[in-house]
Amino acid sequence: MNKWWLLVVILCLGGVGFVIFGVQQGQSEQALPLPAKPRRIVSLAPNLTEILFALGLDEQIVAVSNDSDYPPESANRKKVGTFWQPNIEAVIAAKPGLVITLSFEQQKAVAETLNRLGYQVLTLKTEKLEELWTAIKKIGIATGHKRQADMLVKNMKTQFRDLQSKFSSTNKVKVLWVVGVENLCVAGRNTFINELIEMVGGENAIGPTVSQYPQIGTEELITCGAEIIIQSAMRTRSISEQQRAAEAFWSKWANLPAVKNNRIYVVDSDLVLRLGPRLTQGAEMVARCLHPDTFTQE
Amino acid sequence: MAEILTSKHLLIKVSIGLAVLAVIMCLCALVGTQKISLEKALAGPGDKAGENIDYEIFVGVRLPRVILAALVGAALACSGVVLQAILRNPLADPYILGISSGAGLGVIIAVLSGVSFSFWGGSPIAAFAFTGATITVWLVWYIGHFTGKSQVTGLLLAGVVINAFFSAVIMFLTSIARSQELRSTVLWLMGNITEKDFSELRVSAVCILGGIIGLFTISHKLNILTFGEEEAKALGVDTGQSKVVAFGLAAFITAVAVGLSGLIGFVGLIIPHGVRLVFGPDHRQLLPLSAIIGSIFLIIADTIARVIVAPAQLPVGVITAITGGPFFLILLARYSRKISWLK
Amino acid sequence: MSGIIEVENLSFGYMRRGLILKELSFEVMAGTFLAIAGPNGAGKTTLLNLLCGLLSPNAGLIKIDSADIDSYSIKELAQKVAVVRQEFVPVFDFTVTETVSMARTPYLGIFGFESKSDRQIVNEAMEATDTAQFTSRTLGSLSSGERQRVFIARALAQDTPIVLLDEPTSFLDLKHQVGIYDLLKRAQLEKGKTIVAVTHDINLAAQYADVALLLGGDCSYHTGIPQAIFLPEQIERVFGVKTFAGNVGEEKFFLPLGKLAKDVGIITTNTNRDKKQ
Repeated sequence: MNKWWLLVVILCLGGVGFVIFGVQQGQSEQALPLPAKPRRIVSLAPNLTEILFALGLDEQIVAVSNDSDYPPESANRKKVGTFWQPNIEAVIAAKPGLVITLSFEQQKAVAETLNRLGYQVLTLKTEKLEELWTAIKKIGIATGHKRQADMLVKNMKTQFRDLQSKFSSTNKVKVLWVVGVENLCVAGRNTFINELIEMVGGENAIGPTVSQYPQIGTEELITCGAEIIIQSAMRTRSISEQQRAAEAFWSKWANLPAVKNNRIYVVDSDLVLRLGPRLTQGAEMVARCLHPDTFTQE
Repeated sequence: MAEILTSKHLLIKVSIGLAVLAVIMCLCALVGTQKISLEKALAGPGDKAGENIDYEIFVGVRLPRVILAALVGAALACSGVVLQAILRNPLADPYILGISSGAGLGVIIAVLSGVSFSFWGGSPIAAFAFTGATITVWLVWYIGHFTGKSQVTGLLLAGVVINAFFSAVIMFLTSIARSQELRSTVLWLMGNITEKDFSELRVSAVCILGGIIGLFTISHKLNILTFGEEEAKALGVDTGQSKVVAFGLAAFITAVAVGLSGLIGFVGLIIPHGVRLVFGPDHRQLLPLSAIIGSIFLIIADTIARVIVAPAQLPVGVITAITGGPFFLILLARYSRKISWLK
Repeated sequence: MSGIIEVENLSFGYMRRGLILKELSFEVMAGTFLAIAGPNGAGKTTLLNLLCGLLSPNAGLIKIDSADIDSYSIKELAQKVAVVRQEFVPVFDFTVTETVSMARTPYLGIFGFESKSDRQIVNEAMEATDTAQFTSRTLGSLSSGERQRVFIARALAQDTPIVLLDEPTSFLDLKHQVGIYDLLKRAQLEKGKTIVAVTHDINLAAQYADVALLLGGDCSYHTGIPQAIFLPEQIERVFGVKTFAGNVGEEKFFLPLGKLAKDVGIITTNTNRDKKQ
């Protein structure tokens, strides 16, 4: 009996070993593509599309993800699946010289396969501001538009710095950013949204949490003292409709300063959640929510 | 089946089955969101890389998926056959003895610990799922042997307990996870056929086919095991040894399948039933035929999953459930006279 | 062929229940029909399980064909001893032929395919048990009696010198009870097999068995020819019921008296009437 057990255990370990070690080594690091300017570029995410257009690569872009809706020129490009589920066959059919992808799980799998098949793939992480700058610069180098990339980054940084300095001396405004109303989910402190909030003189009403988008309970909600409530709009209904619904929803928590002063805003999340060239507009929009008086003068 | 099975009959049936499988694999590799033609694909890669898209798609995207679906389908179906025999329970499926929650736990631990084996070819999640599944099965087997006189009941109980406990742990870890990782875990567990490296496929094929052949050598003993422990011993079968081998190999190929493609349900449960309804319960025939039909089933299911809501893709588990259910009911109606335990 | 069973000073008890069998010794010669009888809990089935190697004795020896039972591998033992337990319907619907063919397992090669001679033996066993008509029927579609015959066919196809049966006729009607015993007797006489049958039916056992083993239930036992073992006082003491003993020719039969025991007067009159005839 014991003999057989040993055999089975060895089989299992062998199997594990096989699966881990027996497989060929893929590409270790993200090798930058050849110095020649790629003629056909495919983008797998809306923010990447916006960056590419912003760098003046209109002619080279041959295909974009379904949800790349800005700028309007992207409408007439071939579509290769959603940002969530890129269609690898469509990507291949577009005969890309360079494929630009994001680094989360689903896109990583597609990127790996394309890489294996011999296509040039650039995988970028754009979850924080710092990462965005790096990403834009990498795209610049890869596409031979380094100058335009550096310029874009410089401009955006300047705009952010201006915003930041404008509100650095004011009192921090407590902001509650709601991403889901059904099971009250909010943006926590280790999200990009938090970075934006803090940049324009705000402070997250919720303390540090483990989850990025934690569900908060009613108790936490009542005591958080939020002065502003910002809600990411969903694409399903119009913003004005969602604004009305939100105000009705939040009226329940009358003790919150945000509700008392009717500082509830439903905003177009594309501008703030899409880390791309329009981020400055997004930041300004958030600033407007936090400091409406500062902007009425302009 | 008036007479008993001969090796010649079996060989003929298996050969026909394999031929059908090959045809289906080719046909399904020609179906997808992009139209490709076989002649263009066979023309070769062309002078420049990416020149012949038909070839690129056929060889780079479709074939690996079809091969993976074949392997996973065969593994799950065989595992289902074997577990239903050992546990003498027609409702057993490959995940019944803790493999599903073990794999899930492995995946969550891999994702949460942020392990990234970027310098290895295979995904770390796969390795962790495999390890988790294997360790859990071993645990269930060990615990099962210490409970009560009836080993089969002991195994089932241990499996239920471990599944429940691990599921609770998974729920706990899920609740404290960062949302991004969470999404990828859930998605992975739902079961997906993806495009894999040919070397990874080669290794998996060796493991799975090896396991299936190993199981085939004890398939005549499985027939007798279904009559019960005492009966089997009286007929000269070393039940302890047979059960360990059967269980170990079945768990192994299931763990490999889970490592490759997550938890795809239904295949391991209904393919053995379907094949049994048509060909009878003789495991010498049931095992290889279930492997082949399991492959065919999953290949077709994956093909449907790829194209039915194009450009999006459904998880293949949705298709296996939706097609598997009614298909099984029809088989049941037609051959119901053969089933004695339903009377 | 052989088929000698030797039991020497066998003692066995389940863990907490104390000894059931104590220093049991008896011998069964090749080609004999042994009937094992006794009250419930006396250890009949336990003894059977010991004889087929399923249980190990606490003390004492069991020898099959002069070799210790432990010295046989499971496969070798299966070539010596076949067991027929109570009929049942298995989970999966095997046909009768497939079921009987399973008896050839101890003789098959690695992939377990039957050879022509295996198939012939199976056919013969099915002919002998009158189950050849059921070849492609599933076990579930047969009656209890027919199923029991199939399991006996399986034991015969196993081609062993010894066949053990555990209450082969419970749940069977009278016709089938007699039929089964006839079948077993034929197997014994024509094939020289050693038949060991645990039975509740002392009357039938007495008619067919050459040797009887009566387990007393208190670790006592008696062996001998049925006429010497199945005596009225013995039966009444071991089973604890009043019986009426009668004769048919030279054979004795026993009728358990339940309610009738109170009306002893009526019975005596009948016996007188029988004796006159």
